[in-house]
Order: sequence, then structure tokens, then C-alpha cells
Amino acid sequence: MIDSAPVLSATGIAKSYGPVVALSGADLSVNGGSIHALLGANGAGKSTLVKILAGVQAADAGVVQVNGRQVRFRAPADAIAASIATVFQDPALIPDLTVAQNLQLSKIDTDRLRPWLAWFDLERLDLTRVVRALPLETLRLVDLARAAARDPHVLLLDEITAALTADQSERVFALLKRWKEGGKAVVLITHRLADIMRVCDQATVLRDGRSAAELGTGNIDERRLVEAMLGERPPTGHAAPGARTGGDVSGDAPGHAAIEARELSSRSIVRDVSFSLRSGEIVGLVALEGQGQDRLFDLLSGKRKPTAGGIALHGRPVRFNSPHDAVRQGVVLVPGDRLLGLLPNQSVRHNLSLPLFTRLTRWGRIPADEQSRVDDAIATLAIDTRAASQVRRLSGGNQQKVVIGHWLVSGFQTLLCFDPTRGIDIQTKRDIYQLLRKLAADGASILLYTSELAEVSLVCDRILVMHGGRIVDELDAANATESALLAAAHGLKTPA
Amino acid sequence: MHIRSDWALGVWLLLGVLLVWYATLIPAFGSFQITSISKNSLPLIYLAVGQAIIVIAGGIDLSLGALLLLGNALAARFMAGQPVGTVALIAIALIAGLALLNAFTGYLITLSGVPDIVVTLATSYIWSGLALWILPSPGGGTAPEMRWLFTGSTSGIGDVFWPPILMMVIPSVIVALWAKRSRQGLTLYAIGSSKTAALLSGLDVRRAKIVSYGLGGAMAALAGLATVAITGTGDPRFSVGANATLNSVAAIVLGGIALTGGVGQIFGVVATSIILIMLNPILSAMGVNSNNAQVIQGVLIAGVMMVGGLVALQRERAS
Repeated sequence: MIDSAPVLSATGIAKSYGPVVALSGADLSVNGGSIHALLGANGAGKSTLVKILAGVQAADAGVVQVNGRQVRFRAPADAIAASIATVFQDPALIPDLTVAQNLQLSKIDTDRLRPWLAWFDLERLDLTRVVRALPLETLRLVDLARAAARDPHVLLLDEITAALTADQSERVFALLKRWKEGGKAVVLITHRLADIMRVCDQATVLRDGRSAAELGTGNIDERRLVEAMLGERPPTGHAAPGARTGGDVSGDAPGHAAIEARELSSRSIVRDVSFSLRSGEIVGLVALEGQGQDRLFDLLSGKRKPTAGGIALHGRPVRFNSPHDAVRQGVVLVPGDRLLGLLPNQSVRHNLSLPLFTRLTRWGRIPADEQSRVDDAIATLAIDTRAASQVRRLSGGNQQKVVIGHWLVSGFQTLLCFDPTRGIDIQTKRDIYQLLRKLAADGASILLYTSELAEVSLVCDRILVMHGGRIVDELDAANATESALLAAAHGLKTPA
Repeated sequence: MHIRSDWALGVWLLLGVLLVWYATLIPAFGSFQITSISKNSLPLIYLAVGQAIIVIAGGIDLSLGALLLLGNALAARFMAGQPVGTVALIAIALIAGLALLNAFTGYLITLSGVPDIVVTLATSYIWSGLALWILPSPGGGTAPEMRWLFTGSTSGIGDVFWPPILMMVIPSVIVALWAKRSRQGLTLYAIGSSKTAALLSGLDVRRAKIVSYGLGGAMAALAGLATVAITGTGDPRFSVGANATLNSVAAIVLGGIALTGGVGQIFGVVATSIILIMLNPILSAMGVNSNNAQVIQGVLIAGVMMVGGLVALQRERAS
């Protein structure tokens, strides 16, 4: 509708990390005087595109233009110089310096920042305080104020309203409107569809590394957005082998609660989360990035202590002071980063016997029956051990099996799986789902966070949806269609 | 930050207490002792300030002691018998030269991605070897004016304490103010504190690292010059350099510089360097055998660090 050249445009942006294709032909065109939403499901390539536009990473292919002129960013400083100010999800403030020193580093006069701080009711913020000591909400607003003080043509905001209170978010939106009215542009990356519909003029939806839809004024609505994010995928009707079929085990013979979260909270990141996992049950957890799921897993696995609430095992309250405590009580974690759970340079056998080391110190060696358990685990998991001298040489899927397997060897009651199938091929994925079902059938309780919405209903019995640090919805696996999950994960009410 | 400024204040207090205690230990405490302590502290102060800058920027330099050795050997070899003008030129050339040399080490680190500790361990052998090649056995010398500048006396022994104290204060104050007030100085804190955040803030991470190593090299050159001035001769023995490196690390750790980078005050390091140098005369004044003195020194370092760790832990729990 406006003839002038877009303030910021990206065409045919491609970026791969090794074999993983993050972006393959993403287009974005942002007009002056508009607020432009950039959205997509997890893994659609949003954050990669942001990194490229902010100069953090270089694109493999594609053209970025600012005010019609082609630019090539080598470093974030170049993007700033081209009048694109980015506010990242993690505030880019130096933790050990004071706010004032951070401003000095960014060559921003405190006098120029003050009006923006006042805008967010932060005029009384002590600028001589160390960044590390300030709460996350404040840091986000300071980071945004700093970006605004640069007076850029384009404000690039990644999940800016996450962790902000409602009235703080309102102030942020007011700022965006002011930006737009000044003829400048805002790119807003957010998971909150309601916000997009309220404040954005245009929206670009990314799906599988490409621009899937470009919605303009007047036709941004919830259904279109969700549709564009999902695409016209064939319905994933085929149950993974081993997935639970009709006759519900947990329905007619409910196991007792193996682990319960009781009003678990961690600052403002996890809020009043309560749920229980019965033995023999797999509960899925669905959330968009950064909704507190990482922190929830940290709390359950003993990595962090809750600020309020607690955990109970078999109805008995427990306190985990460290992951060691959790493991001893049978609560074990399969972390998101596979290699975190492994000794990458050691053999499969060595890794599998890792949790036995507490016993090893007592006896000086792994006893024979434990040895046979390691052998059993290798057989059960069907780990391809040909390249077994070093775990890091195994494929991602086989590594994941080793992580699960090493808990199998030591024994556990509750398995916390954080996105175990990310970046894993379909066959191994199926193997892992099958393995999880088998473990559940043997009496384990499993909490499975996964970013693969299409698959969660195939392997889980129940599904919890987390948004903004809270459990906002619970769905039965049977009702959990991908679109229902996506809507719920975006904080929208699911149709009954 | 508050913890760290308190820490810097604390070590200065500790230094004060030790000074008073030392004064009561020996029969006569006067300008001679003050001169002696301040001039003998100079090499370690320079080295530790240099190390502090590098560690604040997220690195660590095991070659600083070897650079001191190299500076010392070069100065003693080429300054001996020269007029004061030539000596001054050599001194300036030395400071600039070693700064460039170590900046190049920093450049290699940013270029290769090899950990600082590995690269600087390797260069430490190179510099030590070069020092021995330049000055195969102890010898050489410098101009009396140089000696006066660092010791307050043309013979290296005397009781005029203001020149060594000025030589202590001026470089440390300049470096400390630069580190905390200038953008480039703050950039060092920034990259040591969070490399990612520094990068995203648009800072030049590589240049900052190279600058930190360059400054470390300049400070090592100053330390080498001070050593020549104090002893009146050059000493290229490997152990001198190795000890100096270890002492510089001990001084910064005691002085409240976090080995993980990004945190700490230069001023604290000056106090702890003096403390480390003072321990020897104090212990000998107490009649402690010099072999046992090292044990006590070690226990003291461990003790102070444990207290610091416990205080930090308490604060963390309280927050």
C-alpha cells in the first residue's frame, strides 16, 4: 500500500549449521511506519533470521537491504551502525558492570536514556547498580530503553514482553506505537498471538526455514496465523509403533502418583506449577521456547531449588539439594543437550556404567551383575556399537539412546526427558518412543518435554501445556491435535 | 561490585595492619624500611597489574614472568655503561617492544582459538630462552639515574622513599583509572564478564583481547626495568621468571580479581603485591626459618581465599 522502499528487507536468506538447515529462502519486508510481526513454530528459523539481521551471524545466501541499500553485516556493530537496534531474548548487558558503565560502552549518554527509562517508570533506577543484581524484567526494559535511545530506523525485538508484567507490556506496546507513528519500523518476534493481533500491522510467518505467509492489515487473525504456522501438512495419523492404543491402562488402573509438583515456583520464571505423574504414565509437556520449561526441569531434577512450593515422591515431600539427591531417589534427567549427559570421549560401555560409579567407589570395580546389566542395556537399546570407542562418534540418535541407557543400567523411577528427539532421524525417533513406552509399561513415570507437537500425542497419555511459567492447560492425548496444542501453547483458549 | 570494592578496601586494611605489626617487630622502623619495601614490591606490582588486566579481560598470561626476564636481560645487556639519554630511549623502546610482542601473542590467541594458558605457556619458554641467549650469565647493568628512579638512590640502597612510591602509584593509578573509566578499559571488563553480551553490544571483542595482552607486555617490561634498577644487574635464570609469574597470579587472586574474568579492582592488586613481598621480611623478623616461611605464605593465601569464598557464599545465600 505504501510505494516507498521498505526500511528493512531480506530476500532469499539461507543459513545452515552443518547438515541442519535453519533457513532456506526466508523473505521479510518491513515498511516504515509499521509494526511487523515475525512468527513461526519452534525451529521455524525465527531466531536465526534475527541473528542474521542483527549481524550476529552471516547468512549463507540472500540479500539484506536497509532503506533500499544492500548491506552486509560482519558484526553486531555493523547492524547498529546501519540503524537497526536489536533487543535479544537474553539482555545484551554486561553482567559484572553497572548500568552506567554499560551505557558508556554502548556510547549512549545517560541523559538520552533517561526519558526512555521514565517511559517505563524506571526513572528512579540507580544506574550505578551492577547489572547482575537487577531483576530480569528491569534488564529487559533497560535493554529496550538503550535500543530506543539509539533512535534506530528499525527496532528488532525478540520476545520482548516475555517475563514482563501486563502493565510493563502495555508500556512497551505504547513505545512501539510511538515508533511507528514516527515513521520508523518495529519487527516484533513473539509467541503471543493475541499481542500480534492487537498491535501489529503486518505479519510474516516462517515455517521450516521459509516464509510461509505474509499477512497484511486487516487479515491478521488467529486462524490464519495458526494455519500458516502449521502449513498443509498431512495429518500424522500413523501411531508410532508401541504407542498406546485404545484400551487405556492408566484409565482403569490408575497408578499412584510417583512424582508430584506442588505449587512449584522459581522467581517469576516458573509460577505455581502443580501436576502429578503416575507410574506407568508418560506425560507430555508442550511449550513454546522460553516459557519456563527449562527451569521446571531444573527444579524437578535437583539442579535448582524452588523459591516456593515443593516436590513429593509417592506422596512424601522431598527436597533435592543437588541432582545427586534426585538421582538417588530415582528421578533422572535426559538433558536437552545430549552431550551434557555423556562423557563424549569415552566408550559406550563406560558411559553406560557412569551412574554406577557411586557404587564403584565402594567396591573398587563394577561387579559382575552390574556388568551384565550394561550388556542387557546395550541389547535392549539396540545401540549400534560399532563406532563405540568414543560416544561422540555415534549418531545423535544413538547418543540419545546411550543417555537413556545409562539410567536404565542404574535404575530409576521417574525419567525427565527434555526434547529427546530433537534433530534425530525418524527411525531412531520411533525407537526412542518405543523405548519410552516400554519403560512406562514396566512402571516408570516419564515427563516428556518435546518441541515436536505432531508427535507428542502419539507417545503421551496426557499433555500439559505451559505458557508464561504456568501450566495453562491439560489435554487428553486423544484430543490433542497439533493445532489445538499450538493454540494452547500460544496462550489461547482451546476450543472445547 | 560492592563485594569487590569491599575486598580491595579490605586488603589495603590488611596491608596497613601488617605494616604496623612489622614496625613493632623490628627495633627501628623508618624511611629505610619504607624505601626497601616499596622498591622491592615494584616488579611484582607491575607484573600483577598487567596480569590483572589480562585476567579481567578473560585471559591469563603465564608468560609475563618470562617477559620480565626478557626485559631484564635486554635492559642489563644494552643499558650497561650507556649515558642516561640512551638508557631512557632503550627503556621506552623496551616497553613499546614488549607491548607489541605480547599483543601479538594476544592476536595469536584470538586467531587460533587455542586456550590462553596453552599459548602463553609456550611463549614463556620462548621468551625465557631468548633472555638466556641475550644474557647468558648474570651481568650487565644500567645508568645510575635509572636506579634512582626506581629505588630513590643511585646505588640502589638508600632511604629516599618518594621516587619508588611515585613509581608505584603513577602507573597503577593510570591503569586503574583507564580500566574503570575509559570505554576501552570497560570493554576489557565486558569481554571477561560475558563475551556474548559484549559481542551483541557491538564491542570489538578481538581488539580488546589484544589490547589487554599488549598492556600486560608493557607492564612486564616495566617490571624488568625495575628489576635491573633494584639489583643493578641482569639475571636471566628461568626460575626467576617462573616464580614471578606464579606470584603475579597469587597477587591478583588475593587482590580480588576473579580468575573467570570480568570482576575485580586493580587497586586491590597493588596492596596484595606489597603484602606478598612484605611477608618475607616479616617472617624473618619473627625468626621463622625461610624454609617454613613458604609454608606459612601458602597457608595464608589459602586462608584468605577461603574467607573470601565463604563471605561470597554467605551473601549469595542471603540474596
